[in-house]
Amino acid sequence: MTEHVLSPQGQQCLQALMRVWFEFERQLGRVPLLQRLDRGQFSKADYCQLLLNWRQQVIEGSRWISRCASSFDRDYSDVRSVIIGHAREEHRDYEMLERDYVAAGGNLTDIQQAPRNIGTEALHGFLMYRASQPNPVDLIGAMWIIEGLGQKMANDWAAQIDQTTAGDGSYTRFMRYHGANDDDHMQKLYQLIDRLCQSPAQLTAIVRTARVTARLYCLQLEEVDHE
Amino acid sequence: MSVYITSSGHFLPGPAINNDQMEPLLGLVHGKPSRLKRRILQSNGIQTRHYAIDAQHNTTISNAGMAAKAAEHCLTQSFLGKRQIKMLSAATSQGDIVLPGFGSMLQAELGLSDIELHSSHGICSSSMMALKAAFTNLKAGEQPNALVVASELTSRLFKASRYEAAGSTLDFNAEFLRWMLSDGAGALLLETQARGQCFRIDWIRSFSHADAYPVCMSVGYPTESDHSKSWQDYASYAEAEAAGALLIRQDVRLLENIVKLGVDGYLRLISEGRIQPDKIDHVLCHYSSHYFRGKIFDMLQRAGVGIAEPKWYSNLYTRGNTGCASIFIMLDEFRRTQHYKTGDTIICMVPESGRFNNAYMQLTVVDA
Repeated sequence: MTEHVLSPQGQQCLQALMRVWFEFERQLGRVPLLQRLDRGQFSKADYCQLLLNWRQQVIEGSRWISRCASSFDRDYSDVRSVIIGHAREEHRDYEMLERDYVAAGGNLTDIQQAPRNIGTEALHGFLMYRASQPNPVDLIGAMWIIEGLGQKMANDWAAQIDQTTAGDGSYTRFMRYHGANDDDHMQKLYQLIDRLCQSPAQLTAIVRTARVTARLYCLQLEEVDHE
Repeated sequence: MSVYITSSGHFLPGPAINNDQMEPLLGLVHGKPSRLKRRILQSNGIQTRHYAIDAQHNTTISNAGMAAKAAEHCLTQSFLGKRQIKMLSAATSQGDIVLPGFGSMLQAELGLSDIELHSSHGICSSSMMALKAAFTNLKAGEQPNALVVASELTSRLFKASRYEAAGSTLDFNAEFLRWMLSDGAGALLLETQARGQCFRIDWIRSFSHADAYPVCMSVGYPTESDHSKSWQDYASYAEAEAAGALLIRQDVRLLENIVKLGVDGYLRLISEGRIQPDKIDHVLCHYSSHYFRGKIFDMLQRAGVGIAEPKWYSNLYTRGNTGCASIFIMLDEFRRTQHYKTGDTIICMVPESGRFNNAYMQLTVVDA
């Protein structure tokens, strides 16, 4: 991939976002649920519990991203187009997740009626708040974390879950689906970083939002065990 | 106070062993050729290496013996005699005996008197930790010089009889390192005065992430997943060996994290202002550059901090992966054979997979 060379500001932003991501992966490595998955001490019930907790955030995810798109004014109409496209692609992903939950032995009404966990409350609240600000350029930081997670789910977790629960891939479709079109997604992200990170203040805001998103995401995963 | 690497040395036991000669030397496990060998060798790219055991599985030279040879090689080219050496800092993954420390055994082998001693224990990064202990000791003005030696004799673990003793099955993770690691030793002499054209150590830093990741390379547990019992918890060592608790294992699933953490440390040092990517002239990395390809490599390029291919130097392909000794053997050969000029900046990186400790060092070529 040589097409797109980032601006110096964009490059600094990418360096910082890579570090936020690596730090996030280390935080994930300390989440008890994921440590158990790593050790192969993870049951189908654990997986269902994970999906049950996750669904609420996936549903809210489509809302903050739509809100984010609508908060960009006319000067950012190009960005708005990209984000609307993204929101449209993903806003019904939760249905796939629900099907996985049922395929793994869960009861549809249980997942549909489950409340948000504490981490999800915090993450959703934060993202909706940021998305409601005029021209929320910092949310590229949140997208960075969530795109990275999608790839991690598809490349690591789905296989680990199938292996430890003796699955055949029939109930990890939602996770695997996020590995599709990786390169295309990365390309879009790079372009957005370049477009949206044009000053040191924007860089600081993007990195801060990425870090908050990462921390709250971990909190959400930590809370899966607390329900 | 500045600290300089004023001499270096290495020792590689026996003749260079090519890929076809490996298995006859290490032995067929249960009389059968390995099915994984070709695949693993292909991915690590190593062509030749050295072993301190022969085909009859006699040890031809001890670990401390190799370390001493490397140290002597280093000293013969230095301005110092043995009597003038003030500190010995030694590293290995596994000495010839369990106790006392490797440094003590090496000191006796070398015949160094009245020195200050440090032994560093770990895997690939233990040499960098030994180096840092010596570096800071000199920096603090405690000593005017230190000999730092790293040595590995892992082939003892790769004898066919070891695997046979552990039962019939040989899984990928237990076999992986058999086609990866080999023997050798490297030594560096540190002084607080420069001599001719030599390397000033600008800084040494490491970042360890054992709290966030499981064990990746180990000896002592019966399997990757069963950590309830270590080799010392069995009624006899024979039982520990039969359970596979003395095999060296690599959890290959976790290896990808090395690259990520290697990049993470690199980016940290950039943001701290320690590394300036455009000033780097040479990179010596314990892992070869092809591990750093792919998505992250592409990301580094985009982020404007990639390092051009011609700046990477490695002798892993011909000298083998000698664990903690690798970086010293590499730096020694670089010093002797490569072209560099006064003012050049050299970055050394040792990402260790044991439980993820990544060490970095910056050197500047100076002229006294």
